[in-house]
Amino acid sequence: MDAGSGAEPHRARGRLGAPCSGARAPGAPWARFSAWLECVCVVTFDLELGQALELVYPSDFRLTDKEKSSICYLSFPDSHSGCLGDTQFSFRIRQCGGQRRPWHTDDRHCDSGAPASLQREHAHYFGYVYFRQVKDSSARRGYFQKSLVLVSRLPFVRLFQALLSLVAPEYFDKLTPCLEAVCNEIDQWPAPVPGQTLNLPVMGVVLQVHIPSRVDKPESGPPAQRSHENLLPAPVVLSSVHELDLFRCFQPVLAHVQMLWELVLLGEPLVVLAPSPAVSSEMVLALTSCLQPLKFCCDYRPYFTVHDSEFKEFTTRTQAPPNVVLGVTNPFFIKTLQHWPHILRVGEPRMSGDLPKQVKLKKPSRLKTLDTKPGLYTAYTAHLHRDKALLRRLLKGLQKKRPSDVQTALLRRHLLELTQSFIFPLEHYMASLMPLQKSITPWKTPPQIRPFRQDDFLRSLEHAGPQLTCVLKGDWLGLYRRFFKSPHFDGWYRQRRKEMAQKLEALHLEAICEANIEVWMKGKSEVEVVDLVLKLRERLVRAQGHQLPVKEATLKQARLYIETVISSLPKDLQVILCPP
Amino acid sequence: MMAIRELKVCLLGDTGVGKSSIVCRFVQDHFDHNISPTIGASFMTKTVPCGNELHKFLIWDTAGQERFHSLAPMYYRGSAAAVIVYDITKQDSFHTLKKWVKELKEHGPENIVMAIAGNKCDLSDIREVPLKDAKEYAESIGAVVVETSAKNAINIEELFQGISRQIPPLDPHENGKNGTIHVTQSHLQGGRRCC
Repeated sequence: MDAGSGAEPHRARGRLGAPCSGARAPGAPWARFSAWLECVCVVTFDLELGQALELVYPSDFRLTDKEKSSICYLSFPDSHSGCLGDTQFSFRIRQCGGQRRPWHTDDRHCDSGAPASLQREHAHYFGYVYFRQVKDSSARRGYFQKSLVLVSRLPFVRLFQALLSLVAPEYFDKLTPCLEAVCNEIDQWPAPVPGQTLNLPVMGVVLQVHIPSRVDKPESGPPAQRSHENLLPAPVVLSSVHELDLFRCFQPVLAHVQMLWELVLLGEPLVVLAPSPAVSSEMVLALTSCLQPLKFCCDYRPYFTVHDSEFKEFTTRTQAPPNVVLGVTNPFFIKTLQHWPHILRVGEPRMSGDLPKQVKLKKPSRLKTLDTKPGLYTAYTAHLHRDKALLRRLLKGLQKKRPSDVQTALLRRHLLELTQSFIFPLEHYMASLMPLQKSITPWKTPPQIRPFRQDDFLRSLEHAGPQLTCVLKGDWLGLYRRFFKSPHFDGWYRQRRKEMAQKLEALHLEAICEANIEVWMKGKSEVEVVDLVLKLRERLVRAQGHQLPVKEATLKQARLYIETVISSLPKDLQVILCPP
Repeated sequence: MMAIRELKVCLLGDTGVGKSSIVCRFVQDHFDHNISPTIGASFMTKTVPCGNELHKFLIWDTAGQERFHSLAPMYYRGSAAAVIVYDITKQDSFHTLKKWVKELKEHGPENIVMAIAGNKCDLSDIREVPLKDAKEYAESIGAVVVETSAKNAINIEELFQGISRQIPPLDPHENGKNGTIHVTQSHLQGGRRCC
């Protein structure tokens, strides 16, 4: 077997001595499959029941009744939008109790290397849908209506939609054996380890994807294709597992992209009213991806219906609207969500490359009738001035018929730089809260990370603000003030603080291991020595469990210390500390 | 450096004739008595030198069970070669092989290289299909033919070498046109909007 192909070295490792057919390793049924997908569902339209779950694969995968009901409703377009033909969209639902498979160590390994915004969801499922509605004279109502749905915790929308566009048409044609075959093929895929380029064989085709990792530069795509000779003829290369065609999504609202970025950054309640689930889900996913590399910490629903179990929770007027980005298609929502502060109305997608009409900002009160025109309905005023140069470049590209992926790259880079310019001063200030290295001494409790003081931070902006990396003028201070109240600030702050606390703990452990323990032990009472052993042990457990950033040599040294210290104690104590 | 060519190869044939065992012997040099039936297909690769080229076989080992028959086109679509396997101790499997050949001629890629493998030749004392029959049939359809034993590692390498020899050498002006995968990017643009 030759190395170099993603599929085989993994396979050889995982199945040493196992049969080389599709048979799975004993004891771990569907282990490889479930690194990618939770299950595959088929939702059909039953004349008596409405949408009904026809099939779940693997058949032993357990979904709660609530989840089943959500999947059924969200896998079909809302009754008012008559989609004919094939359409693809995505949804996201809350996981509702029920028994779960144990968290695989492999998954944890995969997640620790993944960028924060691309980690596995712990409390939500993504549903990736391929819906077909065609005339069928053999069916009782004259229509064939069915959805093939991939349920996963991974936010890899491009990959799974590409997979569906390969699998679903074949499935609708050939039915069950096709699904069985595909699931078995996925069960042979190598795990989605961040940083790797993988070959994923499915239905006679090899998909090649790069799994993004924390250490990838955000703006760089997958590694450049290997020399052409190696790829003859090329497998099907997907340029990204998750990135959408941002330009195509935002084209109808191009003038407001920057304001939308602010709304998303502030975690504002935002509803996208779209003509179809395809448009709504793409727009919501495009919006939530705007913040990368910052993790989008609010709830979001690319496609949401009146049947959703969170319908009451999200639409109640007794509380302020939740910090959610919702994608809806049912015109009923215009009334239900009238009190929401920001409503983005998107029209039918236009295939022609004509210029988007100047879409004006509109007062929310204007949004009352069903035939409301496309636009952003909000009373919000942007903090930052609009980047006119970017808009000019994008519009020029449109006139010149520049390829969409070039436009997308331009737009994505702009948003990335904007987010980075915004975040950098926060990172900088946060880093200044770390105690000085010299204040970390071996035999004292480690110093505390100083608290985040918003006023101090705002003052630091004078000399280290976003003006260093961004030409955009405006009320940055005001934007930061509002950001402090958003769930994204909270999410970012907790994550950073956790990382810093771990770093501090690691530095302290290193300081202990570099100190001369025998000198310290001189003249110390037994109580103090025993206390040290217990503390060191506790540190070691935490270092291993939390995966503290500690060198292996430090851990070794700490273990050695424990032995040294214990051996200096009287025999009876030794027995207590090290039971045989 | 030698040029590497990726060649999509599919294995077809009746259930239980030893398709997976042949692939397993070829790729891993391993044989398992208790191999379970393939579901759908499994995929493996192996690279072998051929003249001044390297042939990287992308092998799609399909399920022989009848219920998966309708999926076969996905695997022979775009294949540079098909290995059609029968069991020399089962006349029926030779009959199934002829049906596969017919299907490939009608629906398979033009110029697909066909290789016939009469597997389980270690069991020649209970043979039902004479070698002569296989040779005559192979000649009539212009296929490579060889009797193999995945169990005893007989003629497995030779089978794939035979395929390699039938693959026309690479014309530098026709990169990528000799065979394998023809699904284009446009097939895969996610999120098509149809409504």
